[in-house]
Amino acid sequence: MKIDTATLPKKYLDAIDHWCRHNFTDLPLLEKYWSKYFPNDDEFCLCAKLDVATSKTVEVGDKRGEAKSETPAELGPEAAKHLLPIIRAQASTEFGSIQQHQVTIDRAQNDQDRFWVLRVMAEELRHGYQMFHLLTSRDWSSVTDVKPEDMVEDVLQMKTGSHVLEAFNLAYDSFVDNVVFAAVIDRVGKYQLTMQKVCAYRPFAQSMPPMLREEAFHLAAGVVPMRRWMESAAKGDPFVTVRGLQHSINKWLPRGLEMFGDERGGDTNVKLGFKDKKNLDAQTLYYKELERLVRDLNLRYLRARHPEKSGEAIEGMLAKLVRDPSAKGGDELLFLPHPHFFRRRGEPAYRMVGIRGESFASVDAYLAHLAENLSEAYLASRDMRGYADTLRELAAGTLTPEAAAKRAPKLERQSSVCPCSKSVRWVEVNGNGNGNGKGHERR
Amino acid sequence: MAVSAPGVSVRPLTELDIESITRIDEKVTGLYRPDFWESRVAYYLRRDPEASRVAEVNGEVVGFMLGDVRGGEFGLEETSGWIERFGVDPSQRGQGLGRKLFDELAAYFRSAGAKSLRTLVDTRQAETEKFLRAVGFENSELVALEAPLDGDKR
Repeated sequence: MKIDTATLPKKYLDAIDHWCRHNFTDLPLLEKYWSKYFPNDDEFCLCAKLDVATSKTVEVGDKRGEAKSETPAELGPEAAKHLLPIIRAQASTEFGSIQQHQVTIDRAQNDQDRFWVLRVMAEELRHGYQMFHLLTSRDWSSVTDVKPEDMVEDVLQMKTGSHVLEAFNLAYDSFVDNVVFAAVIDRVGKYQLTMQKVCAYRPFAQSMPPMLREEAFHLAAGVVPMRRWMESAAKGDPFVTVRGLQHSINKWLPRGLEMFGDERGGDTNVKLGFKDKKNLDAQTLYYKELERLVRDLNLRYLRARHPEKSGEAIEGMLAKLVRDPSAKGGDELLFLPHPHFFRRRGEPAYRMVGIRGESFASVDAYLAHLAENLSEAYLASRDMRGYADTLRELAAGTLTPEAAAKRAPKLERQSSVCPCSKSVRWVEVNGNGNGNGKGHERR
Repeated sequence: MAVSAPGVSVRPLTELDIESITRIDEKVTGLYRPDFWESRVAYYLRRDPEASRVAEVNGEVVGFMLGDVRGGEFGLEETSGWIERFGVDPSQRGQGLGRKLFDELAAYFRSAGAKSLRTLVDTRQAETEKFLRAVGFENSELVALEAPLDGDKR
């Protein structure tokens, strides 16, 4: 891979630096100890990286075989208008995940796990920088009146609660969430970046390979600690339990599945040459990959639980327990929730499907089921309160499924002089989520 | 990038290959070393996830070769591709999987600017040395040296 690098003008660099002082306070710590935890690796570089070898020809969709666009104007108004929110959403995820990780990172049980996540955060910052490069280095005025400076500020003013995608609006309950998020939600990122490698807008396509290269370690930063926790749990460590990991998976998987978009959609992205898979096709592959992760984690657990048994014997034991989870030992293992469990977007939104795929007819029974399968910290959250209220309104017939699927508790900025000024007022959007319509000050 | 042999493919390493690599190593060495492979796979993924490869037969990982591109070590200014760990499931040997893995790594190292390939081999592992010589490795002017640190033997 031959890489060209690019830097943002100083005003954007200053804005990101300012953002880091409030939202990524551990960045200097990572820089100080980089060579201790990542010896021989290149120093962290906050810059945009573009793969020079990216195809110049459209690879999928209606314009397959034609030259890829190098500017928004070349894309044409329809395609450019479709792509701009994708880049904005991608930028939001990058900065949003840093805000989520920062809150609980100091609760890591050891410094290796902590510094691995810090590196993930730094590389997400680079990915956000990459998206800003895409937003500011080309002229988008043919499809939007928003100036580049305002696009950047729009993203930098977002907080956990006001990001574009819901997975980035949920607070972490503990360091378990840092790790499970990396294994489950960053995996969606891997799929999105992989699909976007073909993008008909060449600067966007060129951005994907360097990001994917970094994403590979992000997944390891989730999976390796999970594997080690499974081993510790099998040996009787009471601090990180299989149940705790299961609850975190139950929290993040539904949001991860929803990040692919509605199961019935994705045709436009393929038609316009932005992605090479429709939503359901990618989501299905993602789910299968997570099944493999859960299988590996369970093997790790069983090997540690029964050290006297051979690898073949353990594989046989796992196969039996998967076939019959009610058998002795089955309740000790992890499992992947049904893809329709706890969904609020897409085709199965608000269908009240249980964790094993069972159906519920009563809202109270379903909420009790969720309470059994999610952590207490998450159950006490604003997100769950909003979900329960929406479910009750749906059941009472005062809300349509379509309106419910579009609803989310959301905070929006009222005014500001600076992206992270303490003078910013946050208000709950009128009529959205569980709010009473009266704005209230957040900080 | 898939190779042409039916049912066989070679692709870049991922974090979900840890379990399979651990099992292959266990079959070869008789040692179950998940911690070791977790650390090594994470290391290669953070260094360069495309440099290391696994071979699959009908979707199951049956071989691996881990390495990366480095320069400036041992007084070597030129960039070299280092092959450091590899293994093939004993039940799948004889199909040229090691060769396929090697060819893919070599092609990648070449595209990444490496001028030569390097590795170290324990001369007591005759089969490993035979494989490395078969794919083109020869004795180097560099000689691996070591000295014990248990007690002062000087």
